[in-house]
Amino acid sequence: MTLTRAYVRALWDGRMILGYTLLLSLTLFIVAPFLMIALRSVGKGWFYRLWLPPQLTLDWYRWAVEVGNIPEVMKNTLIIGIIATAISTVIGIFAGWAFGRRQMPGKEVAMAIILLPRMIPPITYALGVAKIFYTLELVDTYLGVALAHVSVCAPYGILVLSATFEGLDERVLEAADVCGANTIKRFFYVVLPLIMPGILASMIFTFTHSYNEFTLTLLTYGPHTVTLPVRTYLAVGDGYWEITSAMAVIMVIPSLIILAMIQRRAEPEKLVGGFKGV
Amino acid sequence: MTDAMIEFRDVSKRYGTLVANDHLSLRIRRGELMTLLGPSGCGKTTALRCLTGYIRPDEGRIFIDGKDVTDMPTHQRELGMVFQNFALFPHLTVQDNVGFPLMIRNLPKDQRTKMAADALRLGRLEGYESHYPRQLSGGQQQRVGLARALVYRPKVLLLDEPLSNLDAKLREEMRFEIKELVTRLGITAVYVTHDQAEALALSDRVAIMNRGRLEQVGTPEEIYEQPQSRFVAEFIGLSNFLEGRIEAVDGATMRVTVGDLKLTAPALPQTGPGQRVLLFVRPNEIELLGPDAPAGENVFEARVEKVTYLGDMMDYRLAFGQGLALRVQGDAHRRFSPGSPVRLRLPRIRCWTITSG
Repeated sequence: MTLTRAYVRALWDGRMILGYTLLLSLTLFIVAPFLMIALRSVGKGWFYRLWLPPQLTLDWYRWAVEVGNIPEVMKNTLIIGIIATAISTVIGIFAGWAFGRRQMPGKEVAMAIILLPRMIPPITYALGVAKIFYTLELVDTYLGVALAHVSVCAPYGILVLSATFEGLDERVLEAADVCGANTIKRFFYVVLPLIMPGILASMIFTFTHSYNEFTLTLLTYGPHTVTLPVRTYLAVGDGYWEITSAMAVIMVIPSLIILAMIQRRAEPEKLVGGFKGV
Repeated sequence: MTDAMIEFRDVSKRYGTLVANDHLSLRIRRGELMTLLGPSGCGKTTALRCLTGYIRPDEGRIFIDGKDVTDMPTHQRELGMVFQNFALFPHLTVQDNVGFPLMIRNLPKDQRTKMAADALRLGRLEGYESHYPRQLSGGQQQRVGLARALVYRPKVLLLDEPLSNLDAKLREEMRFEIKELVTRLGITAVYVTHDQAEALALSDRVAIMNRGRLEQVGTPEEIYEQPQSRFVAEFIGLSNFLEGRIEAVDGATMRVTVGDLKLTAPALPQTGPGQRVLLFVRPNEIELLGPDAPAGENVFEARVEKVTYLGDMMDYRLAFGQGLALRVQGDAHRRFSPGSPVRLRLPRIRCWTITSG
């Protein structure tokens, strides 16, 4: 949406030809690889001398589904994503409440430690996770892979929900008390509706992150817990570029749906900022 | 049943070494509008929050309608409260904001609708039922706050600087609106403010607080005309302070020496010659006379030092006696220029004294 707006503004403003050119090339730069994959996933007999594929086909999708076992893999990915999101959101609500509303010693240090998995290279972290999970026999279980994801997803949830809770006006809660609401009623009638946008934002972020997660999955997955990014990566190794492309396209679809949802339903910037400005 | 709707009995609250409420004892009568007035940090907000139950006093008890509520949670205290920042529920419409206390109390639907409609009418909010708070002006938002606080006819209405977030003109209008509403409903109200004009205009009685203590409790007239301490006199309105010593007491009047001058003032009970007193006169109570005015009681020669034009009046700084200075506010139609000699008269009954030191 912002991109469209920028285009319109650039077009309207005649002096902005330079800006327009830059925007266009940037967009091409971002979009070109997707176009390439999309074309390759439906092209037949397309060799690199040709600009466009000579023949269109859906065979590669059939192969992806039958040989690549995509429905099963998609199911794994979604289940792991849902588990990781649920755990991260619960952690996020409690930790966010503590970070956003409580004065406590060592708050900054705690926050730094929570953010650590986001800051260091994932592979170093994943090695440690894998070692522990082998010992605990969590490797190749939905819960295991999801838990590994939680280590990088939960920080997002905590960050978003800390901001949300910080934005809760203490006086509004006090008003609810004075109006006669006990803690439970206050939570359901006032707190929950006010933090709902933050919870949704946190869920979208964590789910997307789990869905995209590659490194941590690679070191904790097994035959029963192959996820889409890993399946696609393995297909690249097998050398089937067309099938890989089809998988990539299938993988992108849910992300696009989520993106369309947040763009239409809410302004993502507002969700991140909590409820402060309302 | 006592006549006190609210009673603070020896309430103290400390934050570390800071004493927010220092053995506060105050009785607020049924149907009375009592203002807690004082500078920021004087403990008025702490007192109010002890009343809502948001703060538990370290010592002392609090009673509402004869019942000890010191250990009662906020939501059981049956209060209505208006907040400085309005504190409306941003996710609810005006209708639902006002109906919130009724919804929480599980009242039957038709009764709820009727009571909410009544409250909306009180707040002159008809037509705004489906608006959200962010779509309203500050004044309207505060009227929603007022309607929400009054909707279930609580025993006590608390107002925590309800007008400070509004602009000056609206503030004055709302002042009368609140006063009128509270009087009409006959509700007991506690109003917290740091604005003395607001306190004088609204209150049945004013409690002036300073550093966690009550300085004085009285009607606006008493507070303004008979302050019991220098703090109260300084805080309410403008005042000139003159330090002196009682020379002689003669029935209802006494002679006070201030520097090299002798003044006559109403006698101060339970004092005698030699007692040090603080005498004060409001700048607008002092009469400015021409240099040829006849001598008389409390008439002194003075010189105009500085003149400031204030539109409806003139503000003078006068020097008189030995190094004494006075501020006088007088009629804008009769002007004295800087440097000119004048005479001033301090009307005897306007010379209020308190003992000092």
